Amino acid sequence: MRASFVFSEVVTGLRRNVTMTVAMILTTAISLGLLGGGLLVVRTIDRMQQDYYQRVETVVYLSADISANDPGCTSSTCSALRGQLESAPGVQTVIFESRQAAFARFQRIFQGQPELLQLARPEALPASLRVQLSDPARFPSIAKAFTGRPGVDRVTDQGEYLRQLFRALDGLRNATFVIALIQALAALLLISNTIQISAFTRRAEVGVMRLTGASRWYTQLPFLLEAVVAGVVGGVLAIVGLVIGKVAFVDRVLAGVFEAAIVPRIGYADIFSVAPILLLVGSVVAALTGYLTLRLYVRT
Amino acid sequence: MIRLEHVSKSYRTSTRPALDDVTVAVGKGEFAFLIGPSGSGKSTLLRLLLREEVASTGDVYVADLNVGRLSQRRIPQLRQRVGCVFQDFRLLANKTVSENVAFALEVIGKPRHTIRKVVPEVLELVGLEGKADRMPHELSGGEQQRVAIARAFVNRPLVLLADEPTGNLDRDISHEIMLLLERINRTGTTVLMATHDHAIVDSMRRRVVELQLGQVVRDESRGVYGVSR
Repeated sequence: MRASFVFSEVVTGLRRNVTMTVAMILTTAISLGLLGGGLLVVRTIDRMQQDYYQRVETVVYLSADISANDPGCTSSTCSALRGQLESAPGVQTVIFESRQAAFARFQRIFQGQPELLQLARPEALPASLRVQLSDPARFPSIAKAFTGRPGVDRVTDQGEYLRQLFRALDGLRNATFVIALIQALAALLLISNTIQISAFTRRAEVGVMRLTGASRWYTQLPFLLEAVVAGVVGGVLAIVGLVIGKVAFVDRVLAGVFEAAIVPRIGYADIFSVAPILLLVGSVVAALTGYLTLRLYVRT
Repeated sequence: MIRLEHVSKSYRTSTRPALDDVTVAVGKGEFAFLIGPSGSGKSTLLRLLLREEVASTGDVYVADLNVGRLSQRRIPQLRQRVGCVFQDFRLLANKTVSENVAFALEVIGKPRHTIRKVVPEVLELVGLEGKADRMPHELSGGEQQRVAIARAFVNRPLVLLADEPTGNLDRDISHEIMLLLERINRTGTTVLMATHDHAIVDSMRRRVVELQLGQVVRDESRGVYGVSR
């Protein structure tokens, strides 16, 4: 196999259909860029989820009776509840918060609003057992086991609010992937089309190759490589696009959000860990498309 | 060198078979004409030898290869042993004469130093030594066919198939092309030429295999085109 010959054929092929080549590369780049964006969103959401769920608690609010008369959780009802919670599977820590402690926290949170503080009475706040779960998904079983028990008013999960937020973010991610998929379909059709045109414009050469006994690799490798070049160049452009997007858009628009640590920062490390995936997907998918096109449309 | 045994070939689109129980053999170093009217099966026979088509029944042999049984992967082995020339030359318009000839070697992976040595030799053999850098459109029809013959012969095939090689050429030029094919035949290459050209067949007095409606109707060792003429 003479590499120089194959490569000169590839260059000739790409140059001969330069408009198609550019279209093929750009479409591939956009679809890979969207895929990369989606992957970055997924990473960010995962990190946010870990971060947030570590902070959220399941709260078992205690009855008015316990709230009023048991400031240290020493009654048999309260200490039994605490013991059962501590030994329940998936529970990391259980902290008792008395009515006084709850009121103190309330005062701390709303110290900027003295009118509200004046209106508030400790009697309005129940005592509670604040439960840290190792796996937030275990909430339903805890809720089921403790709701309605003597001494329990109700069981709430702060994670429920987060789940709504993450459902919205999941929707964003899925939308990105759907657009990436549609774009990828366009890219595949373009690659397939370009290879067919390329094979058609070179039908004389291919005809001579076949008759002179060139192997399948010699006749088809240039076309396959054209597709792979489009995939790889598209991947590189997509990565460049993600870097530009980070610097020019994400870092500026979301600067406040990052400062407040609401959303974890997207770093270059994140982009470069997604980069090999994009290059791999780009080249493998392009090669497969090329191979199938040659199989289906080009005679050997 | 070439052997067909009870070969038939039918196309789905036609009621009559293109070849009908054809048995014929062409020995090593032989020169044979394949004649007959259009549609008699000449081109089909050549296409079977190149494995462009597969026989419906019967066996086709070229050298030691059973052509119909070759796997896809081994078809190039067959085609490297069989050169072919066509009426329409089939040169690559964007390559020079020597590039056209070299292309046939490049695509089968011959090393560059071999190509550099062999291409001028074969151009000299076909009488185009001064025109290596010309483009095909700068050449006459006869010269273009010489380039095509050079390309078909440059890998020293065992068999040279020629499908109406003089069909586009006038009488004098055709005669020169025939002399060239004879010269190639003298190097030991088997030549099988399909033609309509009465004058050439009559003047060469070589073996003639005549096909009509897909059947061999005549096989003479020193024949002329039409016995009835």
